Amino acid sequence: MRWYLALLVSAFAAAVNALSSSGSRLLVVLDDTTDKSAYSILWSDLEGRGYDLSFESPKSDKLSLFEHGERAYDHLLILPPKSKGLGPNLTPKNILDFMNQDGNIILALSGKASTSSAISSLLLEVDIHLSNDRSAVVIDHFNYDTISAAEKHDVLLLERPAPLRPDVKAFFDGEGVLALPHVAPQTLGSNSQLISPILRAPATAYAYNPKEEMPSPDDIEATGSQLNVVSAVQALNSARFVVLGSVEALEDQWFSGSVKAPNGKKVPTVNREFAKQLTGWAFKETGILKVGKIEHHLATDGEVAAEDMNPKIYRVKNETVFNIEISEYSYDKWVPFEVPAEDELQLEFTMLSPFHRLALKPTVRTETSAVYSTQFTTPDQHGIFSFRVDYKRPFLTNIEEKHEVTVRHFAHDEYPRSWAITGGWVWIAGLWSVIGGFLAFVVVWLYSAPVADKVKKTQ
Amino acid sequence: MSVFCSPPAFSGLTALAMYLLTCEMSTSPSAGLLAAAFMGITPGYISRSVAGSYDNEAIAIFLLVFTFYLWIKAVKNGSIMWGALTALFYGYMVSAWGGYVFITNLIPLHVFVLICMGRYSSRTYIAYTTWYALGTLGSMQIPFVGFLPIRNSDHMSALGVFGLIQLVAFADFIRGFLPGKQFQKLLTSMILLIVGLGFGGLILLSVSGVIAPWSGRFYSLWDTGYAKIHIPIIASVSEHQPTAWPAFFFDLNFLIWLFPAGVFLCFQKLKDEHVFVIIYAVLSSYFAGVMVRLMLTLTPIVCVAAGLALSGVLDQFLVMSKPTAETKAKANAKDSKAYGKMSSPVVGIYSYFSKAFVSGSMTLYLLMFVAHCTWVTSNAYSSPSVVLASRLPDGSQHIIDDYREAYYWLRQNTPDNAKIMSWWDYGYQIGGMADRPTLVDNNTWNNTHIATVGKAMSSREEVSYPILRQHDVDYVLVVFGGLLGYSGDDLNKFLWMVRIAEGIWPDEIKERDFFTARGEYRVDDEATPTMKNSLMYKMSYYNYQSLFPPGQAVDRVRGTKVPTESPTLDTMEEAFTSENWIIRIFKVKDLDNLGRDHSNAVAFDKGLKRKRAAKRKGPRVLRTE
Repeated sequence: MRWYLALLVSAFAAAVNALSSSGSRLLVVLDDTTDKSAYSILWSDLEGRGYDLSFESPKSDKLSLFEHGERAYDHLLILPPKSKGLGPNLTPKNILDFMNQDGNIILALSGKASTSSAISSLLLEVDIHLSNDRSAVVIDHFNYDTISAAEKHDVLLLERPAPLRPDVKAFFDGEGVLALPHVAPQTLGSNSQLISPILRAPATAYAYNPKEEMPSPDDIEATGSQLNVVSAVQALNSARFVVLGSVEALEDQWFSGSVKAPNGKKVPTVNREFAKQLTGWAFKETGILKVGKIEHHLATDGEVAAEDMNPKIYRVKNETVFNIEISEYSYDKWVPFEVPAEDELQLEFTMLSPFHRLALKPTVRTETSAVYSTQFTTPDQHGIFSFRVDYKRPFLTNIEEKHEVTVRHFAHDEYPRSWAITGGWVWIAGLWSVIGGFLAFVVVWLYSAPVADKVKKTQ
Repeated sequence: MSVFCSPPAFSGLTALAMYLLTCEMSTSPSAGLLAAAFMGITPGYISRSVAGSYDNEAIAIFLLVFTFYLWIKAVKNGSIMWGALTALFYGYMVSAWGGYVFITNLIPLHVFVLICMGRYSSRTYIAYTTWYALGTLGSMQIPFVGFLPIRNSDHMSALGVFGLIQLVAFADFIRGFLPGKQFQKLLTSMILLIVGLGFGGLILLSVSGVIAPWSGRFYSLWDTGYAKIHIPIIASVSEHQPTAWPAFFFDLNFLIWLFPAGVFLCFQKLKDEHVFVIIYAVLSSYFAGVMVRLMLTLTPIVCVAAGLALSGVLDQFLVMSKPTAETKAKANAKDSKAYGKMSSPVVGIYSYFSKAFVSGSMTLYLLMFVAHCTWVTSNAYSSPSVVLASRLPDGSQHIIDDYREAYYWLRQNTPDNAKIMSWWDYGYQIGGMADRPTLVDNNTWNNTHIATVGKAMSSREEVSYPILRQHDVDYVLVVFGGLLGYSGDDLNKFLWMVRIAEGIWPDEIKERDFFTARGEYRVDDEATPTMKNSLMYKMSYYNYQSLFPPGQAVDRVRGTKVPTESPTLDTMEEAFTSENWIIRIFKVKDLDNLGRDHSNAVAFDKGLKRKRAAKRKGPRVLRTE
């Protein structure tokens, strides 16, 4: 059954070419149609990757994220509106509901105009904060484009980001320079574990509102790399939400332009590649993990028979093998998932709290998946246990697997026999010596008849 | 079907065992028959043995009586076979009921008393050592018991008497070889030495922790106030309250006044087995006074004693024949021959009137006893406790079936492995009728677990939610009687939950916080904030106000008005409320998809705008990855 399904899915995937793992209906919300042509390369790139683009104005009455209670689109790209707010059909609540129903969102901001309070309160719900007046721009006097922003220093030139941490996979890295004009900075709250920065401002950057005086040092909320240019949220249902600080970076002009850093050479921008990485990640073309077969069984030397696979019950102190098959989606195909070098995929064997927490090691690789396995001895405690794999990492969809099994205690005939226990030898020796002694006594008793009788008889 | 029928089947076996046991006590066969008949219908035992009451105590009482029968047989005959059979049934008893400790202590006590009375004999020695060795080995096979027989104080008396009887046997043996004076000296010095060594050793082992101290349940038997302070879980059960006087009459009827007479008869004969009856009677009547539940262990001995007493009366008064002159003469002759004393007249009751009067009144008592037992059984012990029956004003019966409605809802609407949290009283019912795993059930040997549920119920939502998550709880079930006036609801049990939780977490849960400044337990507007914020309170009154016109919501159990505003629940949502609101089931929400607090998420859904964090004081917190 599973084979047929897999075949069907792969055939389908091949037919429609490259496609997001979660649907192709993409709604672009932009203010008026004149904007549209400025991003033509982006649209054609997206269409080239198999998306069905629909364009709507936030003012439009037809704009609705839901139809009959279901999502009407799979992905949402919101460009900053000219007017205030996103209109009655895109309230923060609607947008969060869209995420709760597995929809993915890219929200682009711009430092040119102030951001609406509706968007600000939406971002507040996911613990992303905009500057107090919502109209600051990131300025950097060391990494700016000398061609287009010689005076204002508000076009940032940044390397593509390295992996966030050594144990996190890199999805946005590569060679080249990004040009990011008029970045609206975001800061991330320290409470939420679901948000992570994709691209941070350099240490020398700061937020500046051209219309206001520079605030006193006490009022500055964040500077340097605490400011984010691009931030990501991945909800618990793996719906993705990307906040892009600079919508201009997606324009055709910056896709093909050239920039020159102070004391640098003139180089072409890599915005187009970065846009592909960014939309690819946000719309679930990369960083998708899929769990295939999960198998657990008693450790044996040979093959495991089908009926012995995934038993419902184990005994205490059983040697047990656990296998989990994981694939990762990369733009257009499933590939074996490789855990980053400093990270570990872990199996927990829990009843209320983990009795084992073990690293799963890759054992088998197929074309589309990798099998991770471990072997362990079930604890000396009976009860309802579960195999749990809980793998939640930035930029990868969440894996949360839980399989309940019963662990029973020894059956009466499964304990070691008495002679196998060295401590029992004393008792066994006692037992047999009594029996032997009794027999010896009987023999002695029977064959040592008193001689005195004979003497009497003869007398 | 087997579950349904096993209590009456075992009840039948109990009657048989009772017949055998009583026959050992008396030469008259009528005593055994009467005792068996009493055992069959007395409410004190029928409360556990009606068909459909799934209770292992029905089995346990059979085993108790039969083990005692075998023990008496073993003592009487001094036979290894009977001793081994005693041990066998003792092992069965251990696997069936925690009350086996009663046997573990009663048999050694019997032997001890026999030794003290100077009645030591090789028969006692053989019976006791056989029973102790085999029975202890057998009991250690039960996983729950394990090494308790050599580690726990509750079992120490059996071990001690085992040691004592070896010494007594040894002394007995020595006596045959030594002259009296030397033997006396040896005996006293040995007794002093052994007692000193044994006592010192016991203290040393207890202090060093090799022998577990007496269990709390044991203490609560001696000090009725002990449980309330130290182990609220035991005190919270209504069956563990001290017995009221009328309960004795209610459960035993006229047996209770035949009982002392039967014990008196035992004193008159005072053979080994009668000593046993006396000890059993004294101990169990004390225990039955301490706990309602232990009425169960009193019932068998009451039946034995009453059977003995009544058979004595009936044997005297039902025999019609007058002694003839011949027998008189014979008896006189015999007497004079045997004792060489003056001839005594034959003593007896020969008047038909007094015979008719006494046997008539006894028959009347017996008839009344049967009527009483039938009445008690049908009124008190046969109604299923999950269905409540009430009478409507017009006299017709009204069935309140909320429990079954709710359990069926759980069965039909929740996934197979959905975990239900409720107070432990409903654990077995949910397990059996809804077929869902529960966090705690009526098995109370793990107190901490029940305290955890108590803590979750009596804490604020922010404290409870992590507990619920940790235990994978999907649904929470509460019983609320406010609408119907059903007084056995969770809010009335709530203080016990608080006390049990306080026993484990005295810093976090405090009973005092649930009482107002004037020491009242209130649920209305003047309830304390701790009370109002507790999960139990919130779940009980959630949306209750919507049933009434504004401001007039009334709680009919506690007879007070409840606050006008319904409590808010952020971490749960109402899943089911039964017809009469007796059972309310709440579903525990998942973590918020976007990682927010539930209170923030609920506020956002209601359309409240979140305020930006006010200016922070102190140093800025930098985010690091």
